[in-house]
Amino acid sequence: MTSANGNQSNGSSGQDGVDIGGARSADLSLPGALDGLRVLEICDEKGQFCGKLMADNGADLIKIEPPGGESCRSFGPFLDDIPHRERSLSFWHYNTSKRGITLNLETKQGQDILKQLASNADIVLESRKPGYLESLGLGYDVLSADNPGLIMCSLTPYGQTGPWRDYVSSDITQMAGGGQMASSGYDEIDVPNAPPIAPGGGNAWHIGAHYAYIGLMAALYYRFLTGEGQYIDASIHEACALTTEGAIAIYLSTGDVVQRHTGRHAAPDMSPAIQFPTGDGGWLNTTRSGTNLTPQRLKLLADWFDQSGMAEDLTDERYQDPEVIASENDHIVSVMKNFFMNSTLMDAFHGGQQRDFPWGAIRSMDELVGDDHLTDREFFKEVEHPELGRTFTYPGPAMLYNGSPWRISRRAPLIGEHNSEILQGELGLTNSKMLLLAEGGII
Amino acid sequence: MPLPTPLQGIRVVDFTWVRAGPWAARWMGTLGAEVIKVEWPLNLDTLRQNRFTVPPGVEPGPNSTGQFADTNANKRGISVNTRTEEGLELVKRLISVSDVVIENFSSRIMQRWGLGYEQLKKIRPDIIYVSMAGFGHTGRYHWYGTMGPAAQALSGLTHLSGLPGEPPAGWGWSYLDDTGGMYGAISALTALRHRSATGKGQHVDLSQMITGITLTGPALLDKTINGRKGRREGFPPGNRTVWPGAEVVNNYRGPIAAPHNAYRTAPGGYNDWATIACLTDDEWHGLVKLMGSPGWADDRFDTIDGRLDHQEEMDEQIEAWTKTMGKYELTEKCQSAGIRAMAVQSSQDRVDNDPQLRHRDMYVPMDHPMLGPWKFQNAPFKMSKSPARMSSPPPMIGQHNRDVLEDLLGVSHEDLLDGYENGVFWPSTMDRYPYIEEALR
Repeated sequence: MTSANGNQSNGSSGQDGVDIGGARSADLSLPGALDGLRVLEICDEKGQFCGKLMADNGADLIKIEPPGGESCRSFGPFLDDIPHRERSLSFWHYNTSKRGITLNLETKQGQDILKQLASNADIVLESRKPGYLESLGLGYDVLSADNPGLIMCSLTPYGQTGPWRDYVSSDITQMAGGGQMASSGYDEIDVPNAPPIAPGGGNAWHIGAHYAYIGLMAALYYRFLTGEGQYIDASIHEACALTTEGAIAIYLSTGDVVQRHTGRHAAPDMSPAIQFPTGDGGWLNTTRSGTNLTPQRLKLLADWFDQSGMAEDLTDERYQDPEVIASENDHIVSVMKNFFMNSTLMDAFHGGQQRDFPWGAIRSMDELVGDDHLTDREFFKEVEHPELGRTFTYPGPAMLYNGSPWRISRRAPLIGEHNSEILQGELGLTNSKMLLLAEGGII
Repeated sequence: MPLPTPLQGIRVVDFTWVRAGPWAARWMGTLGAEVIKVEWPLNLDTLRQNRFTVPPGVEPGPNSTGQFADTNANKRGISVNTRTEEGLELVKRLISVSDVVIENFSSRIMQRWGLGYEQLKKIRPDIIYVSMAGFGHTGRYHWYGTMGPAAQALSGLTHLSGLPGEPPAGWGWSYLDDTGGMYGAISALTALRHRSATGKGQHVDLSQMITGITLTGPALLDKTINGRKGRREGFPPGNRTVWPGAEVVNNYRGPIAAPHNAYRTAPGGYNDWATIACLTDDEWHGLVKLMGSPGWADDRFDTIDGRLDHQEEMDEQIEAWTKTMGKYELTEKCQSAGIRAMAVQSSQDRVDNDPQLRHRDMYVPMDHPMLGPWKFQNAPFKMSKSPARMSSPPPMIGQHNRDVLEDLLGVSHEDLLDGYENGVFWPSTMDRYPYIEEALR
């Protein structure tokens, strides 16, 4: 939330061109913030995003997959719509900047190799079923025995303890239990009797990953102070349950349960609708300011609408009275709606922002690509896939670090791509040993 | 003796307000940092005025809202007028003994105060400065304002959610205030590791809106790489992975699967719903068995293609079964057969009915001076050696002026009293609360 705290920004002075008065990303020749950290990742869709957050910040992350590759390599969409475990765009996105090896952890030799790798790792991140790694003799106590600084995080659907610890889940069931769905759906005027709707995009996994990352970074600072590592038991269910804005505080305060409505702040009553159609088939989200008008802000709107002869009576002096604005709210909203229906989405959005209305155009992927502001921030990153002889455009970071660059250092690893580099180059396994491991189904 | 916290010794100057920024600093505090929230009573944090969260029987006021309380727990608070020379000078002195500065004003506000990164660096060379503006501080629209719902709209997140052929549903709350806050903490902690390794601070220029874009990865790659249209028939597919009759493409929620939906449960109230997802044919056959192998569930449904072809009929039949029981009974039945299922839980369910959250101490009681015994949301992870900790209720406005200004910054008691008289530590136009008078004695 970023309004100007009574000290409005340049507002209606209009856009001021490319402005780099904020931060610029640090030079890519510098190390990333997590440079020098060795991370082992044993994760499917539940934890791979946390790994990406570390790897793109410079951690040396080795992804350990079962022979044949991690299960989530089978998630579409696929490159050119040709299904293949090396062509999953989902896997590509969530595994940038990582190296990858394959290892069968259910064999003694596989376990020995993991222990060797863990003996000089800083972090182990895993999202297997609770108790699974421990049952293989690969729990935290074992892995940290010769490496007391090791930090290990298990990120699982419900955590390592409690009555639901062994419950199985998917993105939608986590969003059901976490409360995302109970708060999301439609206003009656949009879709009557709509069900609770789980927001799309795989966000239960994101929410879990954000908190796991925070726990890991806190543990790193504690290790910086004390030299001690530790074990972190992170729960996606708890992370989701924390991520429903005011729902819990409202319930604790008044006993009220939030209502489902179309795309606005959590509320226990049916607050006014704020999402309006535009003439070109778009939708504008007006947050809630459309019905929070001071006389001064109403005048800004009226003058703007008047430029195209659509202010109706809003330029009238009598609207310079908060009581009139309140009593005429429905009329004011209908004038706004009419204006939007005669405007394009982007004109309405920019026109509003230029008058300090914090509105948002509902954009699809079609409108994001090529966006000027994102281009100014060098948001889109070109990533080379040398085995295909092609380069693709990936999303960049949410933030610019001016002292330690964020970067996609390589595309997602191919299955077992770094087996030789790591097992031979680092652990010193011979060619014949590698052959035996491969034929034995261990790598 | 309680275990140590991980961020012990870290001091955070918190200029944030409303939700995303305060939520970022709240987690720094929960992890053990000393967070000092800087406020001014004439520009009240809007959560101090939240109309939904003043409990009945509690006197309304800036210290009485539940939403401010949870969002600002584990912090201390001072009231300083940064538009006075003395106030600004003290804030600079505070920064000079701090590790992190976090703010979520519009871009350029801090620069106008003389507290942009270049100036902060002069005050404290290794300062970590996290700015959390809607569009960030860099780029042509840096001065555009956002709140969570508008940021979600602009980021593409909203468009990924809803029923096909209907308006976008988006998120029914401010996802990017919660998650924007997470990224504020992520930024600070990442920069802290960089400082531990190099001794250097930095400016992290976070954009709430762009945070949302980074959470659309597979959809964005489907656009940039495959050229698939974001606006297409049958998208977004509601709770399903593919809408009935629509082209079978992956719509970015894991693998294509059916059933994959929310179903009504008994007794049919507003939140009597549960979700079921069968990701494999085996899981489907497990569900069929659990339902008592009804006649309708014949071999038409044996494979994913068949289940997608007959999705409407399948979902209707499944719902006829789920409506015969409560959502928790359904959840337990499914889980005992290894079927992915979970009740749709309201806020009330999570606080009162969820045995897992209870087992894990999700809601931690502390005494709040206005609200009385109050539950605060705990960290969603257990750290074995240095756990997160609920250490204090949120500050009442200006509550810790004396502690911070006298004990930490060395302001004399006389100067403190003068500052209250001349509008530096409290507006001369406003009555002081009894707790402030008491602290000054």
